[in-house]
Amino acid sequence: MKKHLTEGELRASLDGELDDNLLRHLNACAECRAQLNQLKQTHLRLANRLAFLTPGTEPVPSVRFAWNRFTSQYLKQKETSMLKKWFSFPVLRAGAITVLAITLLMAFPTTRAFAGQLLNLFRVQQVEVLSIDSTGLENMTGNEALGSQLSKLISDSTVVTDEPGEPVLAANASDASTSAGFNVRLPADSAPSKIYVTDSSAFALTVDRDKAQALIEAAGRSDLVLPQAIDGAEIEVSIPSAVSAAFGTCPEPKMDAPEVEGPRESYPDCIIFTQMRSPLVNAPDGVDVAQLAQIGLEFTGMTREEAAAFTSTIDWTSTLVIPIPRNAATYSDVSVDGVTGKLILRESNHSPEYALLWVKDGIVYAISGTGNDTSAAFDIADALP
Amino acid sequence: MIQLMKKRRSDLLESAGVESDSQEFESLFKEYWAYVYRILQRLVGDPAEAEDLALETFLRLYERRPYKENGFQMGGWLYRVATNLGLRSIRSYKRRERYEIEAGRFALDEAPETRPVELHIQAEAQDLARQALAKMNERQSQLLMLRYSGLSYKEIAGILGLSPTSIGPLLVRAEREFEEYYRALAQEEA
Repeated sequence: MKKHLTEGELRASLDGELDDNLLRHLNACAECRAQLNQLKQTHLRLANRLAFLTPGTEPVPSVRFAWNRFTSQYLKQKETSMLKKWFSFPVLRAGAITVLAITLLMAFPTTRAFAGQLLNLFRVQQVEVLSIDSTGLENMTGNEALGSQLSKLISDSTVVTDEPGEPVLAANASDASTSAGFNVRLPADSAPSKIYVTDSSAFALTVDRDKAQALIEAAGRSDLVLPQAIDGAEIEVSIPSAVSAAFGTCPEPKMDAPEVEGPRESYPDCIIFTQMRSPLVNAPDGVDVAQLAQIGLEFTGMTREEAAAFTSTIDWTSTLVIPIPRNAATYSDVSVDGVTGKLILRESNHSPEYALLWVKDGIVYAISGTGNDTSAAFDIADALP
Repeated sequence: MIQLMKKRRSDLLESAGVESDSQEFESLFKEYWAYVYRILQRLVGDPAEAEDLALETFLRLYERRPYKENGFQMGGWLYRVATNLGLRSIRSYKRRERYEIEAGRFALDEAPETRPVELHIQAEAQDLARQALAKMNERQSQLLMLRYSGLSYKEIAGILGLSPTSIGPLLVRAEREFEEYYRALAQEEA
């Protein structure tokens, strides 16, 4: 009679991997089958414990974005000057969101127009990041004549109705809550080195359609035509008080400070956590939203098809759209503070930076810092009451 | 998945044609992205972490270019590198803390109809299983992962460079080791 099956052979039989001869023995041998039963119990327990390994239908992040992220972040492509500008604000200065909101609204004439269409009320309920090819914009910022034309257009058409003040120190969260007029949340387990409250501000701008169109054409995009209907549209933007908590050693915030490039590296452990109520935008109806959004996105370098696809997925009345250059920054959806937020990363050999953004209960939150390790930002978010 | 694992260098060359090195790498990245991501997503349970680790895996592929060698098995190589990175990540204490939170959250997102208490227990059990896998010898835990993702002995043998007849005995040992670690961890938690 053939000798009894080994444990390995018995185990293989549970996976249907035993050859026929051995299988015949197993079927005829009570002793082997008793031993098999014991192995089977272990196997079933493991199958239950390791069930999460079974292939399912998990959604996979877009391969296109993954590839972009790989080339920009992992292969350390050259960063663009455009992005440095974008990030120099939020990372070091108080009122990061204020600046992001203004960047969004003021960066391009067309963006202003389509932020305005929502018209009655633009209230941020979510943050969306838009990865754009910024080559066209870089060419534009490199063009001094065009730059001064843009500044002039903005200053000519904008009236500041509520001047923002200098950031003021607050003693603690409750002090900051009183000044800012909303319930300020700070991590329970670590005290910020300083808390600043930045006063609210507001401005109104009147769209000069012909000048904006001239600017678009000067930028070489005469294929994009702004609708006549936006001419004279008055858009009011109000930016509520912002509270910024500084963790680690951070530079003093100043609203009118020139953009800082170098000093950032002197503050490697500086993390700024900013929170504020949603900015509000008021503007008249009667503007073709989809058309303006389309033009704005095409202006940033998207193809007509890409712009149409993105426009159709966004609720412009509740979404703060943050444009980031495709070849120098990446972003991903992250779970933070019980909601889905965005983590934006700018890879750089010398001074990589990140910004973690989310919106919860009508408050916009942003945590920004330097370096590649974003865990400190998540630690802060996780410890919020 | 199995199809991908079976792909060999010669097939890759044919499909790559006269592409340059970087184009060849890009097409490999695009072909295997979902495969690598899914392995890691299941292993670490956190989509964001899985994405980072998948990119890290491709960085290794980019730096080492092992596919330039004859007889190279892309699927197996990627599987080994990805799971090693995943297991290492689970071992890192700081990240582990986050998994516990994240695992609960993602489970909630995915099955809102299920009762939170059950989900919490399920997330904890998964976390224990992940930690147990991470404590084991890497080859042993890879063997378990491959088997419990439904691969045949022949496929597992191909990926780990073993003979198919050795899989049964190795599985018995690996399963015992897993059980021991799992029990010890569960006792620690209790």
